[in-house]
Amino acid sequence: MSERLYKIQLPIFLTALFGILMILEHFFQMPSVVAGFNVTMRSFVTIVSAAALMLGIIFLTIAHVRTISEKKSEWYYSIFYIVSLLITAGLGMVGVRNESFLWIYNNMTSPIGAALYSLTAFYITSAAYRVFRARNWSASILLVCGFIVLMMLIPIGAIIFPPVVPIGEWLRSFPSSAGFRGMIMGTSLGVMGLGVRVFTGRQKEHLGIREERAGGE
Amino acid sequence: MDAEILGLIVGSLVSLGAYSVLIGDNPISKITENIYMGILGGYIFATNWDFINKNAISKVANGEPVYIISILLSLMLLGRLKAKYLWISRYPVVLTVGVGLGLAMRTTVMADFLGQIQATLLPWNSFNNIVMVIGTCVTAAYFIFTTQESGAYKYINRAGRAFLLCAFGVAYGQTVSFRFELVIGRLVSMLDPRVSMYTYAFIVIMAAILIYGYKTNKIEWYTGR
Amino acid sequence: MSIIDKLLNIDQRIIFFLMFIALAFPILNPVILPMAVQDYSRKAFEFSDSIPEGSIVLFEGGLGAATYPQGGPGMVAQIYHMLTKGVKIVFFSIGTEQNVWTMKAIETALDKLPAGTPAENGVNWVHWGYIAGGESGVGSLVNDIRATVSADYFGTPIDDIPLLESVNDASAFSAVLWWGGSEGSMPYGIRQISVPFNIPITGMCTTNEVPNFSPYISAGQLQGLFGGVRGSAEYEYLLHLPGPALGQAMATNFGGLLWMVLVILGNVMYFIQRTRGEA
Repeated sequence: MSERLYKIQLPIFLTALFGILMILEHFFQMPSVVAGFNVTMRSFVTIVSAAALMLGIIFLTIAHVRTISEKKSEWYYSIFYIVSLLITAGLGMVGVRNESFLWIYNNMTSPIGAALYSLTAFYITSAAYRVFRARNWSASILLVCGFIVLMMLIPIGAIIFPPVVPIGEWLRSFPSSAGFRGMIMGTSLGVMGLGVRVFTGRQKEHLGIREERAGGE
Repeated sequence: MDAEILGLIVGSLVSLGAYSVLIGDNPISKITENIYMGILGGYIFATNWDFINKNAISKVANGEPVYIISILLSLMLLGRLKAKYLWISRYPVVLTVGVGLGLAMRTTVMADFLGQIQATLLPWNSFNNIVMVIGTCVTAAYFIFTTQESGAYKYINRAGRAFLLCAFGVAYGQTVSFRFELVIGRLVSMLDPRVSMYTYAFIVIMAAILIYGYKTNKIEWYTGR
Repeated sequence: MSIIDKLLNIDQRIIFFLMFIALAFPILNPVILPMAVQDYSRKAFEFSDSIPEGSIVLFEGGLGAATYPQGGPGMVAQIYHMLTKGVKIVFFSIGTEQNVWTMKAIETALDKLPAGTPAENGVNWVHWGYIAGGESGVGSLVNDIRATVSADYFGTPIDDIPLLESVNDASAFSAVLWWGGSEGSMPYGIRQISVPFNIPITGMCTTNEVPNFSPYISAGQLQGLFGGVRGSAEYEYLLHLPGPALGQAMATNFGGLLWMVLVILGNVMYFIQRTRGEA
């Protein structure tokens, strides 16, 4: 059997098979064997997706272990990663509803995650002060719409200038909605186009051929 | 001390550690980021393990041998660790990509494409309806067709761009408010009257550490704007 | 260097500090101002209120650590609203951390319920916990529940849960309440459940995602939407259930004002520079 067959062609064929079966099932009455097969494949996807997330953590940990073993720049920070990971994963493997596990999650990860996620509030303000300018008509549309909508959202905005609420709601419900509708239609066409390309083997990024070549060199 | 209060105090300390990055990269923020990644990694690992255990391993143990295949497929992902065996990981990947694309394609036609076209077919009896119909058509044209700007199409293109800019402006205004809400959500816990004293004390301690670090050049002072 | 140049080149840490003060000040000194209820929130509330007693709704809890403070109060209000109306709820989350926060919202709502309200786990509500796979996971779940989930959040086998006796796909649900937070997952609910099974859907997303989903509201595919902390505050107000969201919504005032002042200042200085031929 040619290597290309089981390494490239069969995976492309299987991608198309799984995808087309899912599509056909939606529009036509399928034999119970096919319907049952689809149900099983969908549940397999949930299991494989969970395993993929675990694999992601394994990769990240390998990178940190390498940083420590090769004493790369600032390697000592990776020790904090490894220790935190081992403690949390260890407690979680005992039980995900274990109180210590949930305590660590609720009182350490949650606040840091929330704080890191919220940092952009500061950067977005600084950036707005420096570069958000009405330089031309396109930038002015962006600026005026953003300004009105923010003013509508903050409760004091309606007290300073009451018409801002109906104007902001109108902008959001009509011109902006029309803009996003065009985008939704465009992206849905994109999804369909991408599907056809993947099923016909014209798009093969998901097979990781480039990574395989790079690793083999 | 009550576990809830202790949790709020620890939460306040680590949040300040994360916020300290606003001054510039520093050891406190880097330690906090690594701790965060470690705990989150451990959490994701354990939770997904629990999911696989509950929905695959237990099913096999309860007499559904077909789920052995899902466990094997999951193990095949490990092929990603070495380029030579990467092809083995393609089989679980094509399953997720094929099923995922199939599920998305079959419903996006009705919900996102035909559903949105149907909603745009409005009677031209009000200003809002006219805005909606014209806006959707010109934006879709701008978004989908990439062609040289000439003749009448130039105006369609400009109108499409204007509607898109309005959409982005609205999204920007909403995003600014969202980011403020995120900070407020964190500050509400940090400034809770039961723990605010600790928060202020942590600010003073961290400031002292950072000032010492900057004064002695042990930490590099960020000089950009 | 002119004053304008100096002001425009101000160290960004000064802006960060000012913003910190502007956001912290109203938390320490709360002021409550009158607030209009947004059209999208009113629609979502009216739809939720119209769900008939005894029906079962599917509830996706997508709030995480960062988004729970803004969406959590609204989620608690929604759970409270449903349970006091006698509507049964089936919860699930498509994110690992989100399933813990959903449980927290359930517990908070249960604590608030008036005495005697039926709210027994397994009878009036059930939490499936985390479902992996994103949109594919949702597609799998709603087409065959037992093939996707074998036990609930607490480890109780699905077949031992009375509420799920006659439930094995999405057709058993009267409505979908999708509290997606910042997951951007609202279209999953619309594509995989609402349109194929013809089940109405509403829910919540963070403030930044409201415009992305507005076309679904005008198309009638989404029955309404609570956006961010403002949406949560509006739900609390409409349900007459006081909670923490109103105070937080008010706390955005000074931050918002500072942002607007800075943008106006930046533009005024830009135009001055431009008239002088410096920009």
